[in-house]
Amino acid sequence: MSREAHRTFECFGGTATVHVRGADIGSGEVAADEARSQLLDAHRRLSRFREESELTHLNRDPRDEVPASLLLRRLAAAVATAGSRSGGLVDATLLDNIERAGYRHSLEGPGPFSLAEALSSHPQRAPAQPHPSRLWRSIGVDEGGGTIIRPPGVQIDSGGIAKGLVADLVGDALREHRTYAVDCCGDIRIGGCAGQERTVRVDDPFGGDPVHELKLRDGAVATSGIGRRCWVGADGAAAHHILDPCSGEPAFTGVVQATALAPSALLAEVYAKAALLSGPEHAAEWLPHGGVVIRDDGSVDVVAAERSLGQLTVAS
Amino acid sequence: MDPFEMQERKREARRRLRAQREKAGELRGRVVAISLVCFAMLWGIVFVQMATGHDPVLGNPSSTVAQRNGGADRRPARANVTEAGASTDSEEPSSGEEELETSELEGEPVEEEFVEPEVETEPEPEFVESEPEPEPAPVITSQS
Repeated sequence: MSREAHRTFECFGGTATVHVRGADIGSGEVAADEARSQLLDAHRRLSRFREESELTHLNRDPRDEVPASLLLRRLAAAVATAGSRSGGLVDATLLDNIERAGYRHSLEGPGPFSLAEALSSHPQRAPAQPHPSRLWRSIGVDEGGGTIIRPPGVQIDSGGIAKGLVADLVGDALREHRTYAVDCCGDIRIGGCAGQERTVRVDDPFGGDPVHELKLRDGAVATSGIGRRCWVGADGAAAHHILDPCSGEPAFTGVVQATALAPSALLAEVYAKAALLSGPEHAAEWLPHGGVVIRDDGSVDVVAAERSLGQLTVAS
Repeated sequence: MDPFEMQERKREARRRLRAQREKAGELRGRVVAISLVCFAMLWGIVFVQMATGHDPVLGNPSSTVAQRNGGADRRPARANVTEAGASTDSEEPSSGEEELETSELEGEPVEEEFVEPEVETEPEPEFVESEPEPEPAPVITSQS
C-alpha cells in the first residue's frame, strides 16, 4: 500500500499543506504537485497584496460589470454566500476599513505582541454586528456572460473566504484518490475514496499543546482567530484582521479562536468567523456541525454537532 | 489553460457522462422489465393452455382420435371405459402409441426421465489478506 505524499509550502500568507495517497506512490506524488500548483496559482490570482492579481484588477475596475475568470467568479459568489449564511457577520467587502485600520501589507510570522498582551490592551468585550449597508448583497455573478456585477467601489477582501474556497476546489480535484487533505492555512478539506478517518488537532492560540482532537472522514474544518495577523494600530493599541462589520474596528468579543466543522471548507470558514464574531454567548449557535470555541481566559468549549451530515463523521 | 477552468470543464464532462449513463441505465431497465413481463405473460398463456388441455401442438383432439380409432369419437369411448370401471385395468394399452394417447386424454404430462445436468464446480477463490492502509497523517487547524 502506498504512503501519503506530502507538500508543505508558503501560500496565502501562511503555510499550506497537501496530503494525498493515490492508488500507487507515483499517482499520489503527481497529484500532490498538481494541488500545490493550483494553490499557488490561486494565491497569485486572488491576493489583494499583489498589484497584478485578478482581484486587484477587479477592485480597481470602474465598470459595473467586469469580465472575470471562473476562479474570481467563484470568489465573488462565495463572498455573497458568506454574507447571507452569516447574516452579514462575515462581510468580505470591508477592504477600506481593514486598510484604514492598518492592514495594508501581507503580515506573516509572529505579531508585535502576544495574544495575552493584545487582550489586555482592549478590556471592552462586545459581540460584533453586521454592517447596515450589507454591501455583499450588491455582488452578483453572471455565469453565462462570465462577469462579476457589483457597484464600482465595492471591493472584495479575499481573506479567509478565498482559503476555504480554494481548499474546496483543490480537494474536489483530489476526491478520486484514496485519501487527501488540503490544508490552506488552517482551512482544511478532507476526504478520499478510502473513507479513512483523519485526526485533526486544534491548535492552542496561546501557544500550548493542541487543545482538542477531531476525527474527520469526509468534510472540512476551519479555524478563525485573533492571535495572528496583528499589528499596532494608530492609537498604539493592538489591532487584528477580524473586524466588527458594524464598527469597522478589530473585534474583541470574548472569543479568541473558533474552529468549525462543515461539509465544505468555505462553509467551515464562515461558521468559524461568525462564531468568533458573535461572542461566547452565541458562538455555539454558529456551529451546527460541531466545533471548538476558545475564550479570552483560555477555557475551551467543545460544541457537539446538532446536525448529522451523512459522511461527515466527527468524534472528539 | 486556467487550471480551475479546466477542472470545471472536466467536472461538467463527468456530469454529462453520468447523466448519459443514468439515461442509458434507465432505458436498459425498462427494456429488461418489459421483456420479463412479456416472457412471463407468454409462459402464463402456454401454462393455462396446457393446464386446460388445449395444447396447440396436438391440434384438434377429436380429429386425432378419429384417425387412430378408425373414425370413432374418442371421448365417448374413453368415457365408457371409465364408466366400466373394472374393465379399465384389463384394457391396458398394448403399444407405446396407445399409452401416449391415454395420457394425452387425461391431460397428464408424460413423465420423462430426469437427468441431472453436470454442474462444473468452480474452484473456491483464494482470499489473500490485504495489507491494511496506513492511517492518514494528522493535520493541525490553526488561525489563518
